[in-house]
Amino acid sequence: MWTVTLRGLTAHKLRLALTALAIVLGVGFVAGTYVLTDTISKTFTQLFEQTTKGVDVAVRTRDTFSSEGNEQRAPMPATLLDTVTAVPGVAAAEGSVFGYAQFVGKDGKPVTTGGAPTLGVSLSTVPQLQAGATLREGRRPTGPGEVAVDAHTAKKQGFAVSDRVTILFQGAPGQFTISGILGFGPADNLAGATLAGFDLATAQRVLNRQGLYDEIDVVAADGVSTQALRDRVRAVVDPSVEVLTGQQLAEDTAKAVGQFTKFINYALLAFAFVALFVGSFIIVNTFSIILAQRTRELALLRCVGAGRRQILTMVLLEALIIGAIASVVGLGVGVLVAMGLKAVFAALGVDLPSTTLVIQPRTVVVAIVVGVVVTLLASLMPALRATRIPPVAALQEETVAASTRISWRRIVVGTLVTAVGIALLLLGLFAARGNRLVNVAGGAVVIFLGVGVLSPLISKPLARLLGWPFAHWAGQPGRLARENAMRSPRRTASTAAALMIGLALVSLVTIFASSLKASVTKILDEAVAADYILTGPTNSSQGFSTEVVNRLRQQPEIESAAGIRLGVFKLDGTTQQLFGVDPPAYDKTVRTDTTAGSLSDLAGGGVAVRSDVVKQHGWRVGDTIGMQFPVGGAAQVPIRAIYKDNQLNGPYLLALTDYQRHYSDQLDIVALVKAKAGVSPDASRAAVSRVARDYPNVQIKDQAEYKADQASQINQILILFYVLLALAVIIAFIGIINTLALSVLERIREIGLLRAVGMTRRQLQSMVRWEAVIIAVLGAVLGLVVGTFFGWTLVRALRSQGVTEFRVPGGTLLIFVLLAALAGVLAAIFPARRAAKIDILRAITTE
Amino acid sequence: MSDGTEVGTRGAQVARAVGVSKIYGSGDTAVLALDDVTVGFLRAQFTAVMGPSGSGKSTLMQCLAGLDRVTSGEVWIGDTELGRLSERQLTLLRRTSVGFVFQAFNLLPTLTAAENITLPLAIAGDVPEDAWYNRVIDAVGLRPRLAHRPAELSGGEQQRVAGARALVSRPLIILADEPTGNLDSKASAEILTFMRRSVDEFEQTIVMVTHDPTAAAYADRVVFLADGRVVREMLEPTADKVLDSMKRLGD
Repeated sequence: MWTVTLRGLTAHKLRLALTALAIVLGVGFVAGTYVLTDTISKTFTQLFEQTTKGVDVAVRTRDTFSSEGNEQRAPMPATLLDTVTAVPGVAAAEGSVFGYAQFVGKDGKPVTTGGAPTLGVSLSTVPQLQAGATLREGRRPTGPGEVAVDAHTAKKQGFAVSDRVTILFQGAPGQFTISGILGFGPADNLAGATLAGFDLATAQRVLNRQGLYDEIDVVAADGVSTQALRDRVRAVVDPSVEVLTGQQLAEDTAKAVGQFTKFINYALLAFAFVALFVGSFIIVNTFSIILAQRTRELALLRCVGAGRRQILTMVLLEALIIGAIASVVGLGVGVLVAMGLKAVFAALGVDLPSTTLVIQPRTVVVAIVVGVVVTLLASLMPALRATRIPPVAALQEETVAASTRISWRRIVVGTLVTAVGIALLLLGLFAARGNRLVNVAGGAVVIFLGVGVLSPLISKPLARLLGWPFAHWAGQPGRLARENAMRSPRRTASTAAALMIGLALVSLVTIFASSLKASVTKILDEAVAADYILTGPTNSSQGFSTEVVNRLRQQPEIESAAGIRLGVFKLDGTTQQLFGVDPPAYDKTVRTDTTAGSLSDLAGGGVAVRSDVVKQHGWRVGDTIGMQFPVGGAAQVPIRAIYKDNQLNGPYLLALTDYQRHYSDQLDIVALVKAKAGVSPDASRAAVSRVARDYPNVQIKDQAEYKADQASQINQILILFYVLLALAVIIAFIGIINTLALSVLERIREIGLLRAVGMTRRQLQSMVRWEAVIIAVLGAVLGLVVGTFFGWTLVRALRSQGVTEFRVPGGTLLIFVLLAALAGVLAAIFPARRAAKIDILRAITTE
Repeated sequence: MSDGTEVGTRGAQVARAVGVSKIYGSGDTAVLALDDVTVGFLRAQFTAVMGPSGSGKSTLMQCLAGLDRVTSGEVWIGDTELGRLSERQLTLLRRTSVGFVFQAFNLLPTLTAAENITLPLAIAGDVPEDAWYNRVIDAVGLRPRLAHRPAELSGGEQQRVAGARALVSRPLIILADEPTGNLDSKASAEILTFMRRSVDEFEQTIVMVTHDPTAAAYADRVVFLADGRVVREMLEPTADKVLDSMKRLGD
């Protein structure tokens, strides 16, 4: 059987190469994802080993919110340093602080990172602790007017020693002289972050840490082990403070970043899975066609005594070999994919640190197992069908034509599977039960399978309909193309189904993005009473100094200005989000309907809660709820007001006085500004600009500009999704190439006949081309239908999250169909060339 | 050229091969398939080409059709010498001036009988002339079967559809390669009668390669090939005379 298998493989090299390509790309995506995220992890690990160099023991408060990857630690009182220094075996101990500090570039614009933090830190004066951040140029900063900058930022911004720079803080911005340029071992910066280093006193002042430390680093005396010293320090501090060895600190920091890498990993793997899923449709299709074409050969094997099991083994063996080879190649492609993904992220402003790519044994195993298993599973159905070929088929005329009769079994099975998929999807989206993500994803997969089963039933009439323009305006080649697209509904359907998946997801994200934009506009129109919306830099979740709002309030043109600060707390052990707001100002800029109490009741502290949350917990105004904060721990906070959902407020509004006590960083994420009545827009804008001039990280937008800005941010994410889904779509088009190439081979005699009776090569090529276009448009249309359904359910499900509007961008979707048609034209090039090259004589004299 | 039926006169030469040789391969493996063949075909004449297998009769047919290029010599269809034509011009010539009937697989399975008949015209972007189309359909006796697809037609019907297709574009010449090869004697008689009528009633020129003396007996003339050469011609053949000649050729 081995010999037969191998001969079979080598005889159909080209057909199989195209099939393998689908697996190669899918596996490449999987491998590339792992390579990329492993590389990122390794970079961070190395980096944190570098930055914690020289630290034997580190002391910091416990992180109450680490589970969410959202580190919030309270600073420690400076007096703790004395306690630690007094521990025997401590050679040196030093407190350090870090927080928000953002450089302003020479162009007057804030230096942004595209996601990574903009850090301000205190630099150590203890020689042993200076190994982490090393001087490249100049000297360490001393005194209130000096700063050191990381080498990457210096290079990018053209900062040199003794230059004057402006730096933005939680409080007022400051002017500094650059005293030195810092490196971190071989690295120029900390994984994309910008870094401003100050001496300790300056850092405490500018970073809002007066009399506080974020961390105390300890150097052990000679002969004292780090573990022993750690235990000794632990014995003298209170349990809200954690004591780690330097190595533990590095690992722990890397682990926190690992949450982020894990997220990237899962997100990319989801897209890789889509690519593989599309690829599996192509494998099913190719194997089905090839096995149908080999009916006589297989029947002959049965005639000479091969059993069904042997036929099955033979086909699966072929699949195994293809899967294995493709997976190995895919692994290599994965390295390229990793580099490509990095480039994509870089193009979108997320600069990932670069080291040599990491290929772990796990990556190799996963890639090969996934590739082989997918190939085997996908080939199982065609293989089983092949075993049903009776030996007598060897003696019969070759009949490749599939039956076109409507199969009731197909209708029942397809409808059932689709229904189960829809049920699963709805369960995931609307019922808060089980793992919702698994239900949604599983539901989508099952729906795709169901529609895949049903699609042969509709592919014939649909191809007739979609082929109409070609049949009427593209002459005989167009008519024949339509006939060819209709003649084997199962083949056309499964080729189109692969494209359907890609386009369903593309149209889903497009519809969702449109709905989101429309919803944002509606929320702004309905809920925001402010004239101006102030935000931090684009692509940065960092806020800006609270000084901005303070100074705006003093402007005569301004009626009211309200900053919104973001915070997390724990309620009964689960993490919740809140907005810290100044109640009276907030009430004037955001339209909030209260059902009990009023926002002004929060002036003396307390919390306002959204009505649905109140209902869920059975709270009333006057009740107190136990909230656990990063600073100050648990507190009983009284409910002062209950408000109706306006899609903007979020579930909890905390009075600013309480927020200031419970959070160490005070930055406004958004500020809402309302001009006084009668002040002209020009005058009010001038007033806002006057204040913001000193804070170049603040962007001033009126409502229209803010809407446009939100739309462009949504569009950016949309583009990222398009790029990630592109591979699935490309694989689907490889499927079209593959099917057509196989069909051309199968129809070699027809093509010979057509050529003999006077069809030119060009006409023949357009015949193949229009068939490809019909299949592509068929897949696109199916995809749009499924995608629109997905989009509708998703928007419905996220209604309570503020996505209130459902929008189908008809024009964009139409463009997708046209692009699919165009891609069909491209996909036809290779099969059409092959068709045109067919030797007429050999075609008509075969057999 | 497509209007040859109107302008030409019975007995004029519509196709000819002049000193045609065809060599397949090269060097030691070269095979001489046609060796200096000169043969002409007259308007409204039904010619059968016969010979043992390997005699070059199919090669001659393919060279006449412009499906294959000759190694030396000239092939003329009407006033056109095929050697000078580009690939595209050859295709257009086949479309307008040559009709084909093959032994098997003459029809596109996706098209109905009617669509198959008008296929060459449709490829050219033409519509059939109604009167002529109806005459052809009636002559071939397929009117009740026009909406059927090839799979629903008998072998004989399929070959008659192919014959009608060849005739409907009024080519200068119809080339038939073993048109009865896959048929029983009744179906064979049907298609041969149809071809005979095409010649007699429509003044069509037909060249048919066959190995069946009964089929050859329907022709006006038989050309015998052996080893790539024309070895004999016979006018007004009968099955017996043809069989007799074939036997002697075999000797």
